[in-house]
Amino acid sequence: MRRKVIPMVILGAASMMFASHAFAGPNCGANTGTAATGEPIIVGGIHGNAPPGDFSASTDAAKAYFDCVNANGGIHGRPIDYRIENDQWNPEMAAQAAAKLVKDARAVALVGNGSFIEMAVNAGTYKEENIMAMASACAISECFESSNIVSTNQGPLPSNLGAAQYAQEELGSTNVACIGFNIPNNGPWSCQVVIDLMKARGGDGSMQLLNPGAPDVNSALLEAISTGADTILMNLPAGLAIAVLKAAEEQDLRDSYVWIAPTPLYDLSVPAALGEYWNGKVYVNAELAPFQMGGPDAVNWIAVMDAYASPDDPRDTFAQSGYLSATYFVKTLLAMDPADVGDRAKVTEAIKGISGYTSDLMCGPYYVGDTDFHMPNHAGFMLQILDGGFKIVRDCYEFDSAYFKPHIAVETSLGLR
Amino acid sequence: MLNSKYTNWILYVILMVAAVAWLGWGKPNKIVGLFLVSGLAVGSLYALGGIGMVVLYRATGVLNFANGAAGAAGVMTAWQLGQWGVWAPATWCAAILISLAISLTYGRFLAPLLAWREPVVKAVATLGFALIVLGAVSFLWIDDPRRFSLPTDKIGVYILGMRVTVTRLIAFGTSVGIVFAIWLYLSQTTVGLQMRALANDRDLSALIGIPILKVETFAWGVSGVIAGFTGLMFGDLIRLEPTVITFMVIPSIAAAVCGRLDNLGIVLIGGLSMGVIESMLTLSPTLKGARPIAPFVIAALVLLWYQRGTRLTFDSKD
Repeated sequence: MRRKVIPMVILGAASMMFASHAFAGPNCGANTGTAATGEPIIVGGIHGNAPPGDFSASTDAAKAYFDCVNANGGIHGRPIDYRIENDQWNPEMAAQAAAKLVKDARAVALVGNGSFIEMAVNAGTYKEENIMAMASACAISECFESSNIVSTNQGPLPSNLGAAQYAQEELGSTNVACIGFNIPNNGPWSCQVVIDLMKARGGDGSMQLLNPGAPDVNSALLEAISTGADTILMNLPAGLAIAVLKAAEEQDLRDSYVWIAPTPLYDLSVPAALGEYWNGKVYVNAELAPFQMGGPDAVNWIAVMDAYASPDDPRDTFAQSGYLSATYFVKTLLAMDPADVGDRAKVTEAIKGISGYTSDLMCGPYYVGDTDFHMPNHAGFMLQILDGGFKIVRDCYEFDSAYFKPHIAVETSLGLR
Repeated sequence: MLNSKYTNWILYVILMVAAVAWLGWGKPNKIVGLFLVSGLAVGSLYALGGIGMVVLYRATGVLNFANGAAGAAGVMTAWQLGQWGVWAPATWCAAILISLAISLTYGRFLAPLLAWREPVVKAVATLGFALIVLGAVSFLWIDDPRRFSLPTDKIGVYILGMRVTVTRLIAFGTSVGIVFAIWLYLSQTTVGLQMRALANDRDLSALIGIPILKVETFAWGVSGVIAGFTGLMFGDLIRLEPTVITFMVIPSIAAAVCGRLDNLGIVLIGGLSMGVIESMLTLSPTLKGARPIAPFVIAALVLLWYQRGTRLTFDSKD
């Protein structure tokens, strides 16, 4: 029950397609083949894992990669001591977790963080303590609008934009209703840019906000319909988006609207959960490379997970993102003077200096920079749920919004455009 | 007395019509109809949950917060068995049996240990049990996208412009049917009489030889079956998420409070009204943020209305 059998089978098949890489085994850090034995470098990670959501996939994947690095020479011979805390979606626990890792353990950085809560609570602490959080599963504005947090995942804002942009350009959408959570730094923040985009392109948009604890999603769907929208954007976790689609199926609304969603619906178990009724009718934006794309990092991610993670650990977008943050972190530390890798201030400086890292998992280059905002990943893929899986209907494309003007300016100044 | 009763009902109808008309003002009839029918469906689930609680409370004096958790465990089991290819009707029966087993386990082995404690202690103990069941369910089924469907979802009729599936009609019809069946049972059978006696005075009932354990076990069983059925309906019509199903007891309590933990008919009407008002509030840009508290505001207003003219003193009522 706890095992994600279908994703495992598909990803296993993907691994076999790239047998030459798979036979070589995972490629991690210095790749020396000998275990690191020096003084450990303490690195932290905070995730949220309690009902109703589990965001631990990113720290699971980061841990798998760090274990692989430790077995392959570590960071200049020093192993990474990766300490993971769970905020349990509780602000107090989130603050305690940060205090434990940042103040007590004196971690040099945080890697793989994934939460709805901890970034909002701890962004100030990270700035005060001059520590960087290379997050991987962000969903709120503080994660992207803070000086000391940078994430490899996009969060709902760019992913919503990508979905709405595709629908407007390819599916004839003129009026998008965005159903999201009534959490100011999540739903309104990420739905408003969609409304702005549609208005800028001569269309219209609206947002319908759900209380996260409200059981009934049908009212939000009906409210969306009552606005006169022709497109429904489900800016929700997969479970809730499925509930919206089920309510729509009950009303037989499939052919009356365009159905789009950001990344959370990109889960290999979703097509089966939705069933035949929705075949070919739901479009999903993917913020990292779809699993069938392959590529060296995609293959290595699977190899690392197979060798160092538990079979129960999810192989999903957040796991990809956690792996990616961990690889960028290790790459940065390996490029540093060995004498400095245990010095938080110098590690922070090195992370802020990251520019132009590339991966087949991400459409654009990864960079950090010394700014009060970070959103290096703002391009993605568009997928269609088809025949029990996901078909790529648009390859890497950049999302169009005034929101990205400052980001583009930074990229230009770094010579990345 | 009779006049007061009629006054209450007339006032209720006027208030409901006024509330629906006000919230739906300026909206097309079809939209209002959609929200009304949607609210009735959710309301019937609140009512079902409330009815299960009141049946148990009347017989045992226990306000059972674990009803939702039992329903969640049941519907998750049904989903899992469905994934394993078990025949659908067998999965539904399994759901009800699991909920029944959970309810009976508590009722038969744990509740008697607290039989002479304060009602608050009894209620809080069931809350602890609910969290244990929820923890076990969350451990077995991690957070994953899932969907639970019944064959009746495919069949529907159009009411006020909204397609209403047979599943929703079953939920509504069953809530009405259960109220009638339980009323009939309590008034026409020996066990029903014994349950009423227990509800009136547990000590006196024990003295006159009513088999308390047997009657209470029966009540826990009925409550478990209703919880199992409600869980199936909730998993299908609302969301297949154990936490959400577990905490559906909260609005159900509000429905039960409307009936003052006694009158099943008012629990039914209270639950339905809460569902409708909660749904219709979505149409008001100003008030839609108040949707989650709507059931409790309604329950509080109903209690205040019942208490009108009563003066409370320090140790008794005037």
